[in-house]
Order: sequence, then structure tokens, then C-alpha cells
Amino acid sequence: MEWMTKIDAPGKTYLMQGNEAVVRGAVEAGIHFAASYPGSPSSQILGILGNIAKERGFYAEWSANETVALEACLGASFANARSICIVKQNGLLVVGDALHCGALSGVKGGLVVVTSDDPSSHSSTNEFDSRHMAISASVPLLEPSSLQESKDIIPYAFELSEQLGQIVIVRITTRICHGRGGVKLGELPKAQRPFRHIGEWERMVCINWRHEYMLEQLDRARALAEDNPFNHYSGPAGAETLIITGGTGRLYTQEALTSLDLTGKVGVLTLASLWPLPERLLAEHLRPCKRLLVIEEVDPFIERNIAALCGKLRLDIEIAGREAGIVLPRVRELTPDVVKRAVAAFCHTTLPDARRHVEQAIELPERELTFCAGCPHRATFFLLKRALKMDELPGVVIGDIGCYTMAGQRAGQYGYHFINCMGSGVNSAEGLGQLTAYGFKQTVLTMAGDSTFFHSSLPGLVNAQYHNANMLFIILDNSATAMTGFQPHPGTGLTAMGDQVPPLSIQKIVEAIGCSVTVADPFEVEETTELVNKLLHQTGMKVLILRQPCATLAAKSAVRKKVWVDPDICRGEDCGCGKFCSRVWNCPGNSWDFEHNKAKIDEVVCVGCGVCAKLCPAGAIKVEGGEQ
Amino acid sequence: MISTIELENKVIKAGLCANCGACQELCPYWRSHQGRTLHFFDCDRENGRCLAFCPRMPLDIAALREQFFAAGSVLPELGPFLGLYLTRAADSSIRANAQHGGTMTALLTLALAEGFIDAAVLTKSQGSLDAAGVLAATEQQIRACAGSSFQIPATLAVLNRELQAGRYHKLGVVGTPCKTLAVYKMLSKPYDKDDHHVQNVAMVFGLFCGWGLDWRGLEQLAERHGDREQLRHMDILPSKYHCLELQEQQACHKVELDEVYPLVKENCRYCSDLTAEFADVSVGGARSADGWEVDKGWNQLIVRSDKGRRLLDLARAKGVLEFKELPEGNLDKLRRAALGKKRTAIANICEKTGSTADLSYLEPSRALFQDLL
Repeated sequence: MEWMTKIDAPGKTYLMQGNEAVVRGAVEAGIHFAASYPGSPSSQILGILGNIAKERGFYAEWSANETVALEACLGASFANARSICIVKQNGLLVVGDALHCGALSGVKGGLVVVTSDDPSSHSSTNEFDSRHMAISASVPLLEPSSLQESKDIIPYAFELSEQLGQIVIVRITTRICHGRGGVKLGELPKAQRPFRHIGEWERMVCINWRHEYMLEQLDRARALAEDNPFNHYSGPAGAETLIITGGTGRLYTQEALTSLDLTGKVGVLTLASLWPLPERLLAEHLRPCKRLLVIEEVDPFIERNIAALCGKLRLDIEIAGREAGIVLPRVRELTPDVVKRAVAAFCHTTLPDARRHVEQAIELPERELTFCAGCPHRATFFLLKRALKMDELPGVVIGDIGCYTMAGQRAGQYGYHFINCMGSGVNSAEGLGQLTAYGFKQTVLTMAGDSTFFHSSLPGLVNAQYHNANMLFIILDNSATAMTGFQPHPGTGLTAMGDQVPPLSIQKIVEAIGCSVTVADPFEVEETTELVNKLLHQTGMKVLILRQPCATLAAKSAVRKKVWVDPDICRGEDCGCGKFCSRVWNCPGNSWDFEHNKAKIDEVVCVGCGVCAKLCPAGAIKVEGGEQ
Repeated sequence: MISTIELENKVIKAGLCANCGACQELCPYWRSHQGRTLHFFDCDRENGRCLAFCPRMPLDIAALREQFFAAGSVLPELGPFLGLYLTRAADSSIRANAQHGGTMTALLTLALAEGFIDAAVLTKSQGSLDAAGVLAATEQQIRACAGSSFQIPATLAVLNRELQAGRYHKLGVVGTPCKTLAVYKMLSKPYDKDDHHVQNVAMVFGLFCGWGLDWRGLEQLAERHGDREQLRHMDILPSKYHCLELQEQQACHKVELDEVYPLVKENCRYCSDLTAEFADVSVGGARSADGWEVDKGWNQLIVRSDKGRRLLDLARAKGVLEFKELPEGNLDKLRRAALGKKRTAIANICEKTGSTADLSYLEPSRALFQDLL
């Protein structure tokens, strides 16, 4: 809750979410500048920062993409501003160049990059481990291991950043972001630190003569890591059996040791300084150690670096962890149970009696991710499937990142063949589209949502237009960054701080690039199917804007049309229908009356878009105000 | 097997689909685009109406004839047969826009005026291209459909739509042999839980047909040889000319049949019906000793049912059609031509199945083709 992030009540403890704790940490650190592009699981952070920015006297923005955000933070840092950039794992990869260059130039005001990883990819297409970027860029990497530390580590990171004159990365993961715990508040800064005049010979330049200096910074960071207050050890001195962990692993390990009755018998070293590693501290614990288990989220990052350190120290230790995938799985997120099993196996003990566990009474049905009721993407991918099937040799669909990524499943009629990273659609389609001049016979189409369009489709669009690729680029304009929770983007006319600004017109931008643009409504399924097929067969670069507001926006509107099924007309399972609405169209609003074997509308879920009424083969679905 | 998958495998992928449209507009799954039948999404039912109505699913021709036509009226080459005539529309304004003698247009307008039918489902094209099934409920709308079409649109989709809409209770249907056969399959009520209202089909008008052509291929051919926008008609001339004629407002282009043959739709190779054997009357281009210049203004017409006979008698009585004496030998010539198509179809089917023991969709009618094997 927002108020907790700004209340002046040092010493008081509140129940906070990890994302809120990060916000509070940033506020206590006295940030001047915050920038981010939305990405689960950390989208909330800038959302809250934006809401409280005016009151706390700092600037916050939803940048067009992550590179913009980090580069903006670097600019602010030049004036000695403390700036925070929040990204998800893919976002950190997007900022790769900016991060490496920023690391080479160093920073003036503290610059902290918070990166949130999504193990098990709950809201991502992947579970990349962003920690590797710290090694590559030669910048320090921290990871909190409790909710309290999620707050406390932020001011610490800013101090470290300024001490070193270097960017500091703080890595968090989904369960930290969304977990809740008691957080004891610190003091709020009394006044903003003033900016510094940038003198004639002041420099922040990315230039290779600083490379040696950058490595020296890293050496200093290594020394400072020894005293990082967020590294913890518990257990017997000189433990031969040792667990090293970080992030969520700390609490999971504690729970495992308690339930296995091993507390105090095994050494547990929790690291917050993940890069560079506190080598002296580690050596102290590794020397007596015979067997080591490393527990961490996603990749064997700590594990590999410790294995390297063991080599350097000439230590012969049996190391278990995620690398070998024996006690811990190589992929997907840790859970208390997974860690418990791993610790039990590692410590050669058995899990406590299963009877002490609550057995799951009911098998939960497996549910695929799907589009919301009334979502325009459902109509879009329904009609795309038809438009493609109209051709003897159907075209190729290149997907992109957004809610519509779910179109790869049933919700979107398994709608695309290919997907890569955000903004890649137009580029990969361009590549494929150019081959049509060399004998590739299929049509090519791709898409981007409006937020993705601003994020990273623009250079690709310029490229595809300039090279006149044989392709259709569909912009799914739902006027929202829907996937991550309706953060404003340049097309919405709103900023993170709540200011109304003139929205940018996607159509005008695309026209200015010189593309041939058509605008259509995905809810006009029949017409738009024909249109898409027609456009696919025009040569050269075509842009189609499919405009229909996000259903969640529609659901919030005061007027919802009532939709219902006339059971006397409904064909149900008979020939001529076969549960078309609930089986094929598959909107959550289209439900089934099992008693009478007829379709029904789930009024709670339905937003009244009326598309199912247009598609119902019997005309049994009625819309208020429509033809009776 | 799920109906969509079964039809896809047994008919479409097997190259048998005629794109008649009998499977369409019954459900949200089947559609037609540019002469091809396709399904967007899979149904979840077995043995649906699409399978029951399809003229290329296993077919017992003899049983179907027995159900709808007078016993003893069947000629082996021409099907049910009550008489062959040479006719043309008396109204020269009909003839002006017709492919040949305008007999079909004249008969339909008469059928509509006299209450034989209250509307007709037929095919409309623009200079033989962009063909589409349409519903015609006025004389003007019927006249607008005069002319030829070598693209085969899914005309029966319109029939299915109209039967469901229930606006008309005496529908006439005009179609090529594959389409009229499908209508008789529908009339035989092969689907047990029938709500198809097929009893609202009052008359079936068949069109002689040698073969249909690939949709896009024909467009490209027309573009290659002339001005597509100027195109008024297409016609296949009698075999000695060996050409397809593209008639424009000002010009006439002749295209060697060798260039046209590759465009023949695969399913037409397996069709054994030249004269639209399932119909009340069937109409085609005339062939006589007078030569093409005369014949091209006339039709030959087969009467197959009593209702067809009554309509023809009325057309004669009212002077709607002009008749010309049928030259001796014409019936034999037509019978030979029809037999030729059957012979070719059976040979093609056997080639496809790889065995004379498998006549594909005609297997239940094997007895009728025994002599051709």
C-alpha cells in the first residue's frame, strides 16, 4: 500500500510487499529520479514511485523502453542525482549496451538498477537469470534475502554506488516482489540533496582508457563485499556441511532445516554480495567444508563462481546445487518443498512424516492462460487464423511480446509460428518477407501491441519500410499496456506522475514513416478477415492498425451491454454448432448450461462486447439493444 | 472421426471436392474461398450434415434415381430422360446476354412467374470471373445471372443459408452436375436429425458441365490474353476448334485448350456426369449439323421429371422458348459424349486408387460402371 512507502514513522514495522519495500528503500535513499518500463514481477515499483513522486519531490517516468530508462538515469546521475532504474530480466538484457557503457563511464550520483527475475516464467516467456549481466558489465550485484532487506538494501546500494562511482545492480525475484513480510521503516531524508553544477571539464564518457579503472572499482567492491551487512552466517563454526544461499533460498533453507530438525547442525551462509564475491569470507567457510550445497534461483550463478573460487583456493569440496540437477532441479523456481527435499537428500536424512502435511484434497483442473472476456486479441487471432486459412499455402505468423503472446495457445487459436523477444516481430518478419523475392512462397505477417510499438518496433518499422519488405505489420492498438497493469505509454496521454499530456498518434507516426496504413476493427470479424487476406496479397510493406480498447478498460466502463442466450434458438451440441461459442471462440464469458446442454453467458465475466453474438451460427446469442 | 477431419481427409485432400457448397453455411466450420472449400476450425461431431450432403462421399446413384425419378426413364449415359430438345429464349434481350440460347434464364423467369418457384439459387459472374452464388427473387435478378462461369463457386452455401432463413418455400436451384447431385442427396434426407428444411426446394435445374477451372489460374489466363475488365463471356467451342474463347466488348481472344487443361480442377477428373443427371431439366450448349455459328445461339435441353415436363410445355405454350427440330443422331451424339465423360472419370479414378477394385466415392454405384472397367 502506497502510504506505507512515504509515511514518516521510523522504527515502526508494517506488513509490506517486496515491491513496496523497494519503493520505501528508494524513498529512504532520497532518490531524485526513477525510470522504468513495465515488466512483471516488478511493475508495481515505478507505479507507486510515480504516484508519490510529486509529494516526495522526485521525478518518475514510465520510459518508452528499458534502454531509455537506464540512459535517462545515467543522465540524471551526471548532476549527482540519485536515480533508480527498474527492469525485469529481459529488460536488463535490453539495456545491455547502456549498462556496459555506463559501467565504463561510471556514475556521479548513485545509480541503482533493480532487476526482477521471474523464475518459472509466471509472466514471461523465459526465466533468464539476469545476474550474469553484472559479471559481464563489471558492476556489483546485490540480492536481498528477506522482505526487510528488500528495503534496507536499496539505500545501501546507493551508498555503495556513490562510494565506487559505479552502477549497482540489485536482483530480486517474483517471490520477493510479491511476498509479504514485516518491514521496519527507516528514516526519511529531511531534504533532497542538491544537484551539482556540471563543470566544463566534468566528464561521464564511455571510453576504453577507463577499463583498468573500472576493474579497480570492482576490486574495491570485492573488498567492500566482505563487510556487506546483508551477508549472514548461522550454524556451527567450521561446519563441514555447508549450505550457501541467496535471495529466496535463505528463508526456504531455514524452513527446511527447522522441519528436518537440522537447525544449528549445518552451516548456512547467506550471501547478499553476489558479485564480486566476498572471497575472504567465503574462504573462511569453505576451508573447513567437505560438502557444500548451493541454493539459488534459476542458474548456478553462485555455485559456478564458488566452484571457481574453490579451484583458486585449491579446495576439494563436493558441491551440489543446480548445475548437476541432482538434488535441485536445473530449471524452474525454488519452492519450500523443493528446497526441503534437496536439503534432506544432501544431509542424508528423510523428510518428516507425510501425515503431518495437509494433503491436497482436490486435483485442480489445469487451466491455460487465456485472454480476458471481451478481449480484442481473441477476435484478432480468430480472424487471423481464418484469413490465413483462406490461402492454399497459408502465411507465416511472427508473434511478439505482450498479452497477445498468449495467442500461441488455445486462446489465440495457436496463432503464431514464431516468437522471439520484445519488438522482434517486425524485424523477423522483415527477414522472412525479403525472401519472397528469392522464392519463398508464403505470405508473412507480424504484430505488435501499442506499448510494444513504442518500446521497440519503431526502428524495425523504419527498416522494413525502407527496404520494402513483403509483409503485413499489424498494430494491435488496445490503448493500454495491459499485460503488466495499465501503465501509461506515449500513446495514452498520461504520465507515471499522473499528468495529462498530448498522446502520440501511432497512425500518424506510421504514416510519417511512409507506410501504407489501414485501420480496422477486430470486432468486425468478417470484414476484417477479408481485409487481412487482401492485404497479405498486396506486395511490399503494409501496416494494419486493429483498433479496439482493451477489454479490461471496457469492463470498467459504466455501461455494459447485457448479453444472453435464447435457449430455444441455441443449437447446443447439435450439428451446425457443436458448442462453437464456448469450445472454439472460447471466451470466458461464454459458459455452458450443463443441465439443459445449451450455451449460456456468464454475466459476471461478460463485458458485453457482443462478438460472440455476431459469430453464433444460430443467432441465439442476443445483445441488449440489438436485433431481437 | 470428427466430421471436419473426415471430410478434409476423404474429400478435400483426396482431390474430390467440387466446392459445391453443400457442406457450407450449416455450421461455423466450413467456408469457401476462391473455389476452394476449407475449414477454419474443427467441429467436435461425427457424421455431420456436411458428410451426409457431400456429393463426393460414397454415393449410390441407382438408389437415388429410384427415389426421385420414374422407373424405366433412365438412359445409362444420360440418367433420367423424358426427352431432348433444341431450344432458345424467344426474348432476344435474354439471348443477348446469355452464353448460348438463354434457355435457362427464360425457363427460370417463367418458373418464377408461374409459381413453380418463388426464388432461385444460382451463380452470377462478371464476364465469367468473380463467380458467386446468389439468391434471385425477381426476374431482373435472374436475368443478371445469365452467362457462363468456369470458376466453381460454392453456390449451395447460398441454398443452405436460404433454407435456414426460411424466407422461401419453393426454391429453385441451378447448378452444375456436382451441385444438383448434392441437392438430391439433401432431398434424400440422409441426416437423421433433420432440420434442414430441404422440402422447400421445389425444382432443380442442371447445367451440362465438362469441367471447372482453377479460380486464380483462370483469372491469370484472362489477364494474360486480354483485358479482364472488358471480358463479357467465356466459352468452350466444339471439340474440333480446340479452344476457349474470351469474348470482350470489342474483341474476341481464342486460347488453345492445351493452355486451359492444366487449370482443370482435379475433382472434375473424377466426375462421371456431363448432363447434370439429377435435375428436373438440364440445359447445355447445342450441337448440330448446322455448325457452331448457328448452334451457339441455341441450347439442348433434357427433360427428366414430370415437373420439368410441365414447365417446358408451359414455355412452349406461352412462347417463352423457341424450339427447333432435333436433328437425327443428336441424341446418340450426346449419349456418346456423356459416356465418354464417364469412361474418362472411371479411368481417372482407377488410376488414382491404383485399382479397378476401388471406385472411390462411386464404389456403391459400381454396378452402373461395370461395363467401363
